[in-house]
Amino acid sequence: MSGATTGEGGVTSAPTAAELEEMTPEQLARLAGDLDDVDVQHNAPKFPVPGTRAEKRAERAVAGWFTLSALSALAFVIAFIWWPHEYVAPDQPGYRMYSLYTPVVGVTFGLAVLALGIGVISYVKKFFPSEVSVQQRHDGPSDEVARRTVMAQLAAAGKDTTIARRTVIKRSAGAAAGLFGIGLGIAAIGPLIRNPWKDGPNSPLWITGWKSTNGETVYMRADTGDLEDIRRVRPEDMEPGSMQTVFPYRLSEQHDEEALLKAQKAGDAPVMLIRLRPGTKVVKRAGQENFNYGDYYAFSKICTHLGCPTSLYEAQDNRILCPCHQSQFLATEYARPVFGPATRALPQLPITVDDEGYFIATSDFHEAVGPAFWERRS
Amino acid sequence: MEPTTTTPPEPRSRRGRRPHGKVRRRLAGALALGIGLLSVGALYSVVEPAPQTAVAQAADAATIAKGQDLYNNACITCHGANLQGVQDRGPSLVGVGDAAVYFQVSSGRMPLARQEAQAMRKPPTQTFDPHTQEGADNLAALGAFVQANGGGPQLPAATGEALRGDDPARGGELFRLNCASCHNFTGRGGALSSGKFAPSLDPANEDQIYAAMLTGPQNMPKFSDAQLSPQEKKDIIAYIKSVSDGNNDVGGSGLGGIGPTSEGVIAFVVGLAAIVGFAMWLGAKQ
Repeated sequence: MSGATTGEGGVTSAPTAAELEEMTPEQLARLAGDLDDVDVQHNAPKFPVPGTRAEKRAERAVAGWFTLSALSALAFVIAFIWWPHEYVAPDQPGYRMYSLYTPVVGVTFGLAVLALGIGVISYVKKFFPSEVSVQQRHDGPSDEVARRTVMAQLAAAGKDTTIARRTVIKRSAGAAAGLFGIGLGIAAIGPLIRNPWKDGPNSPLWITGWKSTNGETVYMRADTGDLEDIRRVRPEDMEPGSMQTVFPYRLSEQHDEEALLKAQKAGDAPVMLIRLRPGTKVVKRAGQENFNYGDYYAFSKICTHLGCPTSLYEAQDNRILCPCHQSQFLATEYARPVFGPATRALPQLPITVDDEGYFIATSDFHEAVGPAFWERRS
Repeated sequence: MEPTTTTPPEPRSRRGRRPHGKVRRRLAGALALGIGLLSVGALYSVVEPAPQTAVAQAADAATIAKGQDLYNNACITCHGANLQGVQDRGPSLVGVGDAAVYFQVSSGRMPLARQEAQAMRKPPTQTFDPHTQEGADNLAALGAFVQANGGGPQLPAATGEALRGDDPARGGELFRLNCASCHNFTGRGGALSSGKFAPSLDPANEDQIYAAMLTGPQNMPKFSDAQLSPQEKKDIIAYIKSVSDGNNDVGGSGLGGIGPTSEGVIAFVVGLAAIVGFAMWLGAKQ
């Protein structure tokens, strides 16, 4: 811009105050272009003769879009406030109206925005004059005078603040800003720094909710869809050839909603309790021969590949399938992997039945559940 | 009751006469004892609780015979003359119950078309079409025959829409825990290993879904009434029915109900085409 005013193009110089006073608005507008080195090659109004039928038609079209937008916006406000939005089950009366709530709100809102936009654009297209203008482009840096004066001006202003010789202020300000910056950095990075092993053998990756704390019995409970509706699992609850997802439960947690929630929603807690058909040939893992209770076997539901829930139990061929990467485990052979990317068997939970006939875990898993990690070394 | 109360006074009033007293007394005693036993027996048969299974089987002897006829025509090749199963053809049907019969036959899976990864749903044969009275009767007869040989899980008394519970939200919770891993979270079905698959739940009616949970057809695990109570099963059915048959297509089309894949593709293609179209219109010269 400065190039134009200093007359680098050599086209126009700034008018005097008296000249400005005498100029018409059209002349002023043209002067603005001239000062910016803009040359208007062609400028023709869309409708040179006012009041033609074509002009009226164009006007109606644009006004139509704006009217449509206004009506849609009004409909949106009305629908948003008064349309029935409370949930109605599919077989209840009023479901059709309820199910249309989201589409109606979306369509009216979307149409209001869209028609407004189309109206603006079509007004520009229909009524703005068709104009072709050329502006000269000026290359290179600013001229020598401008560069030197600006730098000198900045230096002089800095000197005037006397900051250069106020060492105490400089240092204390530096300390304040620097320490504040370090504080910000710590706040950002701090949460990323954790020591997952600080509890030693009781670190979260090594144990699960099935580990008995202070010797309390850990029962198996079913998820009934209601946290407080606790159903402890017994052997007679399950048919041969069935599978049930069970979660750890302690009697002391009975009225402790937070503990119940934690036990049921913990990522490493779900266990598949599988009852094989009687007479199924089973291969047990060495050292884990007494982990099962009769035909009942309890395996961790967490895939040893990447931790998906492997709950696709196929009752006929006793395979457990993981839906994420198609790893397959054989329930009759200590859930060892027989297909897919998983390389380790699903950990087996040692179980038995207590005096009252409820399933209990005799201990935690004997290995870490879920996918491998560095410290696992297997 | 009446005979016992009216007869005893008779022998007492005549006790005074000496001749033939001994014989008379014995006769009267025997008569009283006989009448008493008879009346107690009659009373017992009235008061005694009706033994359901025994009554049903006794009443259904003809039905069971009809079921056996149907079995001998349609099922015997693979399941054997005594429901013991045939090696490499079909499993034993002892103890599968009439629920399993209803599920497999009414959904057309049985009789099996061919041996393959799993039995496919197809229109039921005319003999066992549950939509006709004759077919429904035949289904019931076949079920009664299998039920009479080893028992097993039975269909609930309720049928059709009566099997939909009143808490689809809880049903949904249970569905996602127990069923969704194989059948997808809105019952679209999904792949299993080696060519097997969990079927879509759309074509299954309430009775079939209930029977499937109870009996664990093919590779599906069983869900006994202790594992999922009848009420919980009904809630699950209510949930399934609330998300199938187009009931969950808020916005017009379910797009297959398979989640973000189809929805993302449609949003990308349609949305991008619209944006490109607008950009071209904006830039177009009149």
